[in-house]
Amino acid sequence: MRLNRLDLVRYGRFQDAEIPFPRPGAGVPDVTVVFGENESGKSTAFNGFLELLFGFKVGVHPYAFRFGRSDLLVGAELDLPGRGVTVLRRNSKPARSLLDGDGRPISEVTLSGSLHGLRRDIYEERFSLNEQGLREGGQRIAKAQGDLGQLLHAGLSGLTGMAEALDSLASRADRFHKKHGRNTALKTGKERLKEIASEVRAGLLTADQAKRLRRDRDRLSAEFATMDAKLIEASKRQLASRAAEIWHQRTQRFDELTKALDAFPEGEDLGPSIPTRVAALVEKISAQASKVAEADEGIAMQDQIIAEHPVDTVGQRLATELEHLDKLEIDDAPLMGRASTAWADLKQRRDARDAIKVQMDDMIRRLDAPDADQLVRALESIDLEELANAVKACLTAKQAADAATATLEMARDQHGEEPDEPKDLTALRTVLEGWKAVADLSLYKAREREAAERYEKVIAALPDGWRGLIAAGLPAPEVLSEAAKDRSTLTAEMAASQSDLEARESDLAEARARLGALEDAPDAIDIGKTEESRRQRDLLWGRHREILTQETADRCEAAMHADDDARAHYLTGAEARQRLAAAREQFKRIEAQHENAKKRHDVLIANLESHATHCSHLATALGMEDTTTPAAFGPRQLALTVAADAAAELTNAKRSLAEKIEHQDAAKTALIDEARQFGLDPSGTEPSAQVERILALEDTDRKAWTQWQDAKKKVTKLENKAAQCRHEVVEADAQFGRMTAGLPLPDCSPHGIESALPHLRTLVRLRGEYQAMLTRIESLEQAIELLKERALSLSDIMENEEIDANTDPIKVVESARSRVAVANKTEQRRSEATSLREDLVKSKRQAETEHQNAQKALAACFEGQGGQALDPLDRLDRLVERDQLRTERSAADRERQDAKDGVDADAFAAELDHMPDANRGTELEQLRMDAQINRDAARDAHREAERVYRDAFEAAERADLVTEQATLLEELRDQARQAAVARLGVLAARGALRQLAAERRSHMLSDVEKAFVSMTAPAWSGVDVWTQSEGEKLVGIRSDGAPVPVDQMSTGTIGQLYFALRLAGYRSFALDPGPLPMILDDIMETFDDTRARAALRLCAEIGASNGQAILFTHHAHLVELARDSIDGVAIVEMAECQGSNATYQ
Amino acid sequence: MRLLVSADTHLGSPIRSVALRNRDLGERLKRASRDTFADIVDLAISESVDALVLAGDIFDNSYPDLKSRAFLIAQLTRASDAGVPTVLIRGNHDALLDQRAHGDLGEGIVLLRKGAPSVEIGDAVFHGLSFDKAHVAKSFLPDYPAAVAGKHNIGLMHTSLDGAQGHDPYAPCSERDLMAHGYDLWCLGHIHAPFERVDGSVLAVMPGIPQPRHFGERNGGTVTCVTLGDGAPTFERYPVGRLSFCETTLDLSACSDQQELVRSLRDVLIACQLPSVDVAVRLHVVSDRHEAELIVELAMELLDGIEGVFLDKVKSTLPSTMIDGEADDLVRLMRAEFGEAGFWQAAIRELEDLQSVMPKEISHELDAETLDALLEDAVGEVTQLLRAGKS
Repeated sequence: MRLNRLDLVRYGRFQDAEIPFPRPGAGVPDVTVVFGENESGKSTAFNGFLELLFGFKVGVHPYAFRFGRSDLLVGAELDLPGRGVTVLRRNSKPARSLLDGDGRPISEVTLSGSLHGLRRDIYEERFSLNEQGLREGGQRIAKAQGDLGQLLHAGLSGLTGMAEALDSLASRADRFHKKHGRNTALKTGKERLKEIASEVRAGLLTADQAKRLRRDRDRLSAEFATMDAKLIEASKRQLASRAAEIWHQRTQRFDELTKALDAFPEGEDLGPSIPTRVAALVEKISAQASKVAEADEGIAMQDQIIAEHPVDTVGQRLATELEHLDKLEIDDAPLMGRASTAWADLKQRRDARDAIKVQMDDMIRRLDAPDADQLVRALESIDLEELANAVKACLTAKQAADAATATLEMARDQHGEEPDEPKDLTALRTVLEGWKAVADLSLYKAREREAAERYEKVIAALPDGWRGLIAAGLPAPEVLSEAAKDRSTLTAEMAASQSDLEARESDLAEARARLGALEDAPDAIDIGKTEESRRQRDLLWGRHREILTQETADRCEAAMHADDDARAHYLTGAEARQRLAAAREQFKRIEAQHENAKKRHDVLIANLESHATHCSHLATALGMEDTTTPAAFGPRQLALTVAADAAAELTNAKRSLAEKIEHQDAAKTALIDEARQFGLDPSGTEPSAQVERILALEDTDRKAWTQWQDAKKKVTKLENKAAQCRHEVVEADAQFGRMTAGLPLPDCSPHGIESALPHLRTLVRLRGEYQAMLTRIESLEQAIELLKERALSLSDIMENEEIDANTDPIKVVESARSRVAVANKTEQRRSEATSLREDLVKSKRQAETEHQNAQKALAACFEGQGGQALDPLDRLDRLVERDQLRTERSAADRERQDAKDGVDADAFAAELDHMPDANRGTELEQLRMDAQINRDAARDAHREAERVYRDAFEAAERADLVTEQATLLEELRDQARQAAVARLGVLAARGALRQLAAERRSHMLSDVEKAFVSMTAPAWSGVDVWTQSEGEKLVGIRSDGAPVPVDQMSTGTIGQLYFALRLAGYRSFALDPGPLPMILDDIMETFDDTRARAALRLCAEIGASNGQAILFTHHAHLVELARDSIDGVAIVEMAECQGSNATYQ
Repeated sequence: MRLLVSADTHLGSPIRSVALRNRDLGERLKRASRDTFADIVDLAISESVDALVLAGDIFDNSYPDLKSRAFLIAQLTRASDAGVPTVLIRGNHDALLDQRAHGDLGEGIVLLRKGAPSVEIGDAVFHGLSFDKAHVAKSFLPDYPAAVAGKHNIGLMHTSLDGAQGHDPYAPCSERDLMAHGYDLWCLGHIHAPFERVDGSVLAVMPGIPQPRHFGERNGGTVTCVTLGDGAPTFERYPVGRLSFCETTLDLSACSDQQELVRSLRDVLIACQLPSVDVAVRLHVVSDRHEAELIVELAMELLDGIEGVFLDKVKSTLPSTMIDGEADDLVRLMRAEFGEAGFWQAAIRELEDLQSVMPKEISHELDAETLDALLEDAVGEVTQLLRAGKS
C-alpha cells in the first residue's frame, strides 16, 4: 500500500485540506518529509490517516471541535495492491463508514486486504515511531539483557515491554509459591488452613464425642443417686435419735405431773370460757340488785308530774280549725299567704291602674285619632315592627331608585363616541423579542476573550509540544506522587543504608584488628602448634645426634626453648584461646552483618537507579528533562491538565460565539420580513426602533378601545339596575298599603306612619299593662273575702265577742295560733312524764329477771366440780390451777408422740435403746454431714456433666472459620491457577521468542547490523550473537573489536540499536506480507547531524525497497539534511497543504 | 392442600467465593445455610402450609457436626409447634439423620424410611425411602409403596433422575417410570438446579438448593410451594437465598481510554444488582491489553459505591480476532510451542510442582487435563501484559 494524498475534508481544524505524498521518480527512494511548525496539524494528519484506514474511534472525538463528530470526514488517494490508485473517504458513522470517491459506501474488504489483518493499534505499534517511543523503547529493550528473541520481537512488533512482562509473570508466580520462599501466599494460606482445620476439628461435635459425654453424664447421675440415698439414710437415723431423746424426756415429765394432780378437786376440765364467765356472773348478780332499787324511786317522781298537768279541749279544736285554714289555696297558692299580701297591696294596685288609664288617654289624644276604641282594636291586629319594616322598605327602595337613575345618567354622559378597533401585532412582537435575545453578543465575546487570555496564560510556561504530551497520555497524579514519595523514601533509605554500611565496615575493621592481635598473642597458641614445635624439636635433636655440631646444637637448643615456650604458653593460655575463639566467632558475625549491609546497600542502589529510570520516563511524558526531580512532576502535570482544560474552554467559547452570531442574523432577517407586512422598512436603521414605536402605539390604541367597550358594558349594567330599583319601589308601596288599610289615623303615608310609630308603640304597651293590673286587683279582693270567713269561725271557738266583720282577720288567726301553742306545751309535758314512768317499770322487771338468770348460770358453771365449800371466786382459782397441770401433762404426752410420728419404727426402737446418751446426737450429725458432703460433690459432678453435654449441642458453631476456610481455599485455587498461567506464560513466551529468533535472525540480523553501524560508525563496527546457557544474546561490537552487552550500552546507543531493530522489522514485514507506509515523527531531533544523516539514509532505504517512509518534523535543518542526504526526497510543507478552497483556523 | 418443598439444604456447608473476603459480606453469610433454612421454616409458618417436605441432603458429610442436627430439630420443632408438620427423607449426605445412631427427631417430624415408608397427613399420603449408603447405583422406585386410592399420593425421593451433569449418579431413576408410578406429586432432591416436570396430572418438583454455595449452583436459591386440589397440582417458586451468583461478560476491545473502561465496568456491575439480595459477580473480560489484575483493582474501587454487589473474580481473555494469532507473531509462535513435546513435558512438570504443594482439597485444579485451558489463559496473559506495558 502507498499513500499518495491525504484529504482532511472536515477534520480537526482542517477543511478541504490536502497533503500530497508525491510518487518518486524511477530509482528515487519513496521518502516524504512533512514539515510544519508546532501545532501545524501533523498529529492531526497522522490521526486522520489512521482513522481512514481503521475507522473512527468510539466516544468523544478529540478532533471534533470545529466540526461536530457526525460531520467529520477524511479521505485519501491510496495505491492498493491489486486495485491500483483508489480514492477513499471515511466518515464517523459506526457502520458503512468507508466510502468511495463519490461518497458511496463500499466494503471494508477494499482496505483490510491491503492491511494484512492488522488492527489500528498494531499498525501504530509497528509502523509508527516518535522520539519518545524511540527513547523509551531503547530503555525497555535494555531490560531484555540482549535476549535475541526479545530484541527481534521488539523490532518487528514495536512492543518493547517483553522483559517487564515476563518478569511480572515470574514475580506473580513466585509471590504465590517459590521453593524455600518464606512469605509466599501459598505457604501463608496453608498455615492458616492448618490452624483453621485444627480449630474446626476442636469445635466439632461428633457422634463419638456426644456418646462419651452422654456416658459420663449417665455415670455421674447414678453416682449422685447412690450418694443421695446414703444421705437420706443418715438423716433418717439422726431424726430417729432426736425422736427417741424427746420421747425419753417427755415421759419423765408426764409421770411427775400425774402425781401432782392427786391433791386438786375432782371434775372434768373447765371449759376455756368458764373462768371469764364465772367472774362476769358474780359481777352481774351484784349490779342487777342495785338496778331494782333505783327503778322504784323513779316511778314515784313521775306520778307527781302527771297530776300537775291536766288535758286542754279548746286548744285541740283551734288546732284542727287552723290546720284546715292552712290547707286552703287560691289560684294555686296558699290562702293565708295570698290574703296577707292582698291586705297590704290592694290600695296601691288600684292607684297604679288609674294612673295607666290616664297615660293611655293622653296617647290617643296625641295621635289625634277620631275613634279611640277603633284605634285600640286595630292595633290588636297589627304587628308594629312589621309596619316599621314596611315603612323603612318603602323609603329605602325610593332612595335606591333615585340613586340608580342618577348614576345611569352620569354614565351615559361620560360614554362618548366609539373608537376604531386596533390590529394584532403579536407576530411582530415575537420576532422583536427574538431579535432582542440575540442582539447583544458582548457577553459571548467577553467569554471568548477571557478564554483566549487564560489559554495564552496557561500555555506560556509549557513546552512547544505540550499538546502532543497530552495526546500521548499524561501519567496519573497518583503515579507522580508515588514517584516523588518513592524517591524520598529511597533517598532516606539510601542515607540510612550508607550510614549502616559505614558502621559495619568500622566494626569489621575493629574486629579484624582484635582478631589479629589475639592471634599474634603468644599464649593464644593451640595444641596443634605445640605438637608442631615438639616435632620440630625432636627432628632437630635427631639431626644433632647424628652430626653433633655446634650449629645443630644451637638449632636444637633453640627448638627446645621454642617448644618449652610453646608448651608453657599453651599451659597458661586457656583463657587467651577462649578469647581468640570468641573473637573469631564475633568476627564471622560482624563479617556476615557487613555482607548483609552491603547487599542491602547494593539493592538500594539498584532500586534507586531503577527509580531514576522510571522518573526519567515520567519526566519525558511530562515534557521535562530526564534529570528532573519527581517533586517537579506534580506542578507540570497540573499545568498540562489546566492547559488542556483551557484549550477545550476556548474552543467551546468560540463555538458558542459563532452560534450566537448565526442566531443574530436569522433573528434580524425575521424581524425585517415581519415589519414589512405592517408597512415598515427597518432595514436601513436600527432594526428594532420602528417596530418598538408601532408596538408602543398599539398598546395605547388597544387600551382606549378596551376602555370604551368596558364603559359600554357598564352603562348596560346600570340601566338594568335602575329598572330593578323602580320595580322594588312599586312592590314596597303595595305592601305598605295593605298593612295600613285599617288604621284610623289622619296621615297614613309612610312618613306619617313613621312619625306616629313611637306613640303607637307606647299605646300598645300601656294597654297591656292596664289589662294586667285589672286582673291582679280582682284576685286580691277574692283572697281577703275568703280569709274573713275563716277568721269568724276561729273567733266562735275562742268565744271572743270583740271580733266583727271589720276586724283584721289576720290578727284573729294569729291569736288562735297563740292559744294552740300554750295547749300544745302542757300536753307535751304530761306525755313525757307518762312515757318515763312506763320505762322505769319495764326496767325494774328486766333487772329482777336478769338477777335470777345469773344465779342459775353460776350454778351451771360449777356443775360436776368438787370444792363446793369454797367462795365462787376461790373455787374457780383452784380449778384453773388443776386444769393447767393437766394441760402440761397432755403437752408432754403429745410431744413424745409427735417426735415418734414419721420416724422409722425400727430405727426409733434402736435409738431408744441408746437413751439416755449425751454424745449420740453429735455422732449422728457427723455421719450426716459426711454423707451430705459426698452427696453434694456427686450432685455437682452430675450437674457439670449435664451442662457439658447440653453445651456441646448448644455451643456456637465456628461458621466464621468454616467460611474463612472455604474462602481461603477459593483464593488459593484462583491464585494457584494464576500462578500456573504465569509460569506457563513465561515458558511459552520464552519458547516462542527462541523460535522467533531462529525464524528471523537470518535476514533481520544483517539488516540490524547494517543500520546500527550506519548510525553509530565509527564507534561501533557491528553486532554479534553469543550463545549462552540461558539463550542467544545480542552484543554490540566496538571498533576495537570489544563486545558490549546491550544492557551496558549508553542510552543514545541503545536508542539507535532499537531504531535499527525497528527498521529491520519493517523490512522483514515489507518482504512478507507486504509494505505499508512507515510514519516517523521527529525521531531525529536528539541526533547529531552525522547520525541524523545516517538515519535519513536508512529511511531512504525503506523507500528504496518497495516501502514508503513518511517523516514528520518541525525542524527546518532536518529538512535541509534530508535534501542533502536523500536524492529526490519529497518535501511537503503543512502550511501549503490547504488547497484553493481551503480554510484554516 | 399446600406443601412447601425443599431439598439439598446442606446445613453447615459454607459459601465458596472469594467475594466473602469482604468483611461485611463474610459476616452476613457465615451462617448462610442455617439462616436460609430458618427462613424456609418462617415461610412455611407464614404461608400456613399443610406440611414442609425435605427431600434429602439436609446435612453435608463434610461437616458432621451434631450441633447441626440439634439446629435442625429446633427449627422443625418450631414449625411443628406452629402446626406445620415436616416429612423428610435421608439423602446421600445425611448420616446425621440415622435414627438408629442418634434417635428420633421428635413430634411432628416424620422421617420416611424402610419399614416406615408412608405417613398420612390430612387427605394425603406421603411415601419415601431413605437409604443408608452414600452411593447407590440402583433405582429406589420399585421399592416405593403403591398409591393409596382416594388420597393424594406424594412421593419423596433423592435421585439423580436420568443423570445430571455435575452430580454423582445417585439412585438413578427413569423420569418416565417415576411419572407413571401412580403418585400425584414427586418431591425430589439431589440436583441443585431447580426444575419441574409435568406429565398429565402428575407433577415432579426438584426445588434445587435453597442457598447456592458457589457458581456451579448459581441457578438455585429457591423453594417450591405446591398446591394439591381436584385437578393437576400447581406450583410456585419462592426465592429464599441470601447470596446470588452472577457470571457476566464485558467486552473491552473497543475501549479507547481508561475513562471508557471504568464507565463500561461500572455499567456491567450495576446491571448485576438485584433487589434484597447480595450478588457475587464473576466477570469475564475480553481485552487485548487489560489484564485481570487491573480490572480487579478498578472493580473493587467501583464496588465501594455499588451496594450489594461483590467481586468474586475476573478472568480476562483475548478478543477472538487475536486468538488465531494470524496477525501476531508472538501468539502464533506460542501456539506452535504448545505442539512441542519438550514444551509439553516442561509444562506438565510446572503443574506437578505446584500441585504437589497445594492443599489437597484444591490440587485437582491443576490436573493435567486442565493444561489446555491454562495455556490458552497463558497466551492471553502474556499478550495483555505486553500490550498493557506499551499502552
